[in-house]
Amino acid sequence: MITEILGVLLIFTLSCLLAWPLGKYMVRVFKGEKVWSDVFSPLERVLFRLSGIDPDEKWDWKKNMLALVTLNIGFFILAFIFLAFQGFHPFWNPNDFGNWEPTLAFNTAVSFTTNTNLQHYSGESGASYYTQLLVFCWLQFVSAGTGIAACALLFQALINKSSAVLGNFYTLLVKSCTRILLPLSVVVALLLVANGTPINFEAIQEVKTLEGEIQQVAAGPAAPMVAIKQMGTNGGGFFGPNSTHPFENPNYLTNIAENIAILLIPMALVFAFGFYTGRKKLALLFFAVMSLLFVAFTAISIHQEHAGNPFFESVGLAESRNMEGKEIRFGTAASSLWGVSTTATSNGSVNSMHDSHTPLSGGIFLLDMFINAIYGGVGVGFINFFIYVIVAVFIAGLMIGRTPEFMGKKIEAREIKIAALIILLHPFLILSGTALSSYLAAKDPSLSAEWIHNPGFHGLSEMLYEFTSSAANNGSGFEGLNDDTPFWNILNGIVMLLGRFLPIIGPLALAGSLALKKPVPESAGSLPLDTPAFGTVLLAVILIVAALAFFPVLALGPIAEYLSL
Amino acid sequence: METNKASLAFRQSVQAAFLKLHPTHMMQNPVMFTVGCGTLIMVGVTVLSALSASTFIGTFGYNLTITLLLFLTVLLGNFAEAVAEARGKAQADTLRKTRSETPARLLVDGVEQTVSSSDLKKGDLFLCEAGDVIPADGELVEGLAAIDEAAITGESAPVIREAGSDQNTVIGGTRVLSDRIVVRVSSHPGESFLDKMIALVEGANRQKTPNEIALTILLAAFTLVFLIVTVTLKPFADYLQISLSLAALIALFVCLIPTTIGGLLSAIGIAGMDRALKANIIAKSGKAVETAGDIDVLLLDKTGTITIGNRKATAFIPAPDVSLELLIEAAVLSSLADTTPEGKSVVELAKKQKPNFQLNEPEGAAFIDFSAETRMSGLDLATGSSIRKGAWDAIKNWASASDATTLNAVEQEVTKVAQKGGTP
Repeated sequence: MITEILGVLLIFTLSCLLAWPLGKYMVRVFKGEKVWSDVFSPLERVLFRLSGIDPDEKWDWKKNMLALVTLNIGFFILAFIFLAFQGFHPFWNPNDFGNWEPTLAFNTAVSFTTNTNLQHYSGESGASYYTQLLVFCWLQFVSAGTGIAACALLFQALINKSSAVLGNFYTLLVKSCTRILLPLSVVVALLLVANGTPINFEAIQEVKTLEGEIQQVAAGPAAPMVAIKQMGTNGGGFFGPNSTHPFENPNYLTNIAENIAILLIPMALVFAFGFYTGRKKLALLFFAVMSLLFVAFTAISIHQEHAGNPFFESVGLAESRNMEGKEIRFGTAASSLWGVSTTATSNGSVNSMHDSHTPLSGGIFLLDMFINAIYGGVGVGFINFFIYVIVAVFIAGLMIGRTPEFMGKKIEAREIKIAALIILLHPFLILSGTALSSYLAAKDPSLSAEWIHNPGFHGLSEMLYEFTSSAANNGSGFEGLNDDTPFWNILNGIVMLLGRFLPIIGPLALAGSLALKKPVPESAGSLPLDTPAFGTVLLAVILIVAALAFFPVLALGPIAEYLSL
Repeated sequence: METNKASLAFRQSVQAAFLKLHPTHMMQNPVMFTVGCGTLIMVGVTVLSALSASTFIGTFGYNLTITLLLFLTVLLGNFAEAVAEARGKAQADTLRKTRSETPARLLVDGVEQTVSSSDLKKGDLFLCEAGDVIPADGELVEGLAAIDEAAITGESAPVIREAGSDQNTVIGGTRVLSDRIVVRVSSHPGESFLDKMIALVEGANRQKTPNEIALTILLAAFTLVFLIVTVTLKPFADYLQISLSLAALIALFVCLIPTTIGGLLSAIGIAGMDRALKANIIAKSGKAVETAGDIDVLLLDKTGTITIGNRKATAFIPAPDVSLELLIEAAVLSSLADTTPEGKSVVELAKKQKPNFQLNEPEGAAFIDFSAETRMSGLDLATGSSIRKGAWDAIKNWASASDATTLNAVEQEVTKVAQKGGTP
């Protein structure tokens, strides 16, 4: 147990330590300063010339968001066409996989465009290597780049003084991919290959096992996809079982590397906020608030998994730890840390089956995604957190009797309107989606039997998890749910689209309106933000907004299941 | 009398709480509006449950309790608002009372007649003599007078108003200081300057402040979130085969939504203005109260009307181990040759505090005049001791050789006076 906890501490500490310099580096990339990775600039210049974009032109938030949405619609259409007609392309398809069913193609195209990587398919039995590399892997880069670029625009908006000009989305997107995601992914991929992750183009191979049985083993160009799926908080695995699969996550060392990769950029972006705006103390406070939640959640999950299922002991089974659905090579603690990391950062890759975690541990994963801003997805995590900050600043400002202001900009009705809508969106998508599926399942027992393999409280958790994962653009699943049906494919697809783009556009509109405001000089009377007092308010706002809206459903799902054990 | 007034105000507030149940008024506050809607639904459910019972509808007694509790919640919100409004109205009533109690010396065909100022109509003539309060806005038709307009404009120096000149208007509520004037009322009853001020105080609560609007939006969003939470509970419970009654759902909803802030929101705004009024500041709107919260520095260019220009001694504060008599003696000695208002006021204050205090001009003393360089003045006595007064830091330097603990004690007093806004 002690070694397992040490492993967890090592991963967390290393992530924090690596995130600091990375944050510094990212700010230099955003600000267009000279960095070593400028070796890519000739290539970028050719790309921009071909597409007729002036990389130095700077736009306001509206034009940037238009570019973001248009480009992503383009990505989606391309991905959908490739998936729906996968059988037609002549190369990199040694297993002869055919065309995808349209609703699954829709779901998957949306899923990868929105950085969700919810997988209603299994990679080794449905996706050609061409699809894996040129559709999925590529979308994993650009969707992560989209989030980082949006976050960089937000940073600029916060330091603007009565100016609408934020930057160029295209430039930031390309730079995020080439200067940040690509180099980091190459490092992780090399480490994975060295530890045995395959990178080849061979078809499914037949292997004679020790028992004398014939087993089919899938391989393929897995290493690059595993690297970017972690770096870009994508989470879409090359193989169906994701990072529980020995080829995706061969040993404890790769587990450490991949877990750090999950946390690295989301953590670094919090520091980047400090370096970009010159408010390092405030960034540290934000980081402390996030880390407090992260550590507390991890501790609860580890404790729950270690305590295991009380039934086991009562029937006289020796192992009380909950090892169901976990890999022996990682153990319970590393599985819990990964689970919290992957749900907190909207990554969605798994190294254990979340469905098999103890009820409260599963509840913690849900809570992570309800909040969706404990470090959060690359770029979007900080953007989500920004909304909580605005609400906290507003409430704290009213308490001291002054017009609330954030970094010298007054928060007024327009800003609160946007923040309120974004706060409203998340519970709306999750709860109405789960309610609809519950209603249908309650009305039609045959439908319920088709979808849900574990009826009762756990069945509700499974449906809730699926919609939460979609709305939070996470992508992990409680796999007890049979989700490859038109109902889930289409509904989840819509939820993912709304849950991705509205929480980017809304906060950017908010920041855009802050950017236009003249900053009020700070005085003795203004609310100091970088204090423990404000940290407490912020923490309370996060917990109240997430807990109050979702507590009833948590009580009916995971908590009821826990109490019934 | 006081208790009668309080119970009357209470009765009026209760009455207003019921009047505020009108849908158009309820709509302005989304949180309380949803509670109101919940109450209405519960009334229907209660009636239904009296006729037939089912698990979803629930039992009659339970439903009735919930309905009454919800109705009370709505009523309390309205009551809080009504009470706050009543306090604002009370201020306006006081202002109105001052006006109506001012007697007016109405001239009818040259005959003087005393009436209440509220009975004056436009075109009436009235008479004012030195010491009278002018009962209404008007134009001078006869005479010339010095008028103290400090109550309205804040200008302490009297102004001269003369019939037939450009300066021939007077404002109700100001005071005639000299002479005798005849004035023609120039405004209809209810349109005078004072009336406008009363309207300001009364109408102050009508406007929503920017922060209030923003907060209402946020609360509305939270209310909507909890509406979703409650509505979706029904299918969840259906799936789990748990029965939930409608009354329980509505009760849960009302518990979740921010009814306390929502219900008291307007009351909070009005209370802010009420507090400003207590400090003799008329806040034209809640917005003004909010702006006041944002003020860091206040610059005034009209020192004359706010302070007396000349510095004046107001108190003697002796250092420890020094008797008051000794201090007064030293102070008077050092001020004997000081002809500035400050110096004179020291002697005056000494006489006021010790009426039988007698001091003869010391012989052979050398007076030292104040200079900007030394920032001290005083005298050297023939006996060899010297007395100084002046700016604190100058004195401190001059006396640095003497007892440090005494100096520290004095310094504390000096800081105390300075913090209160005085000049030590």
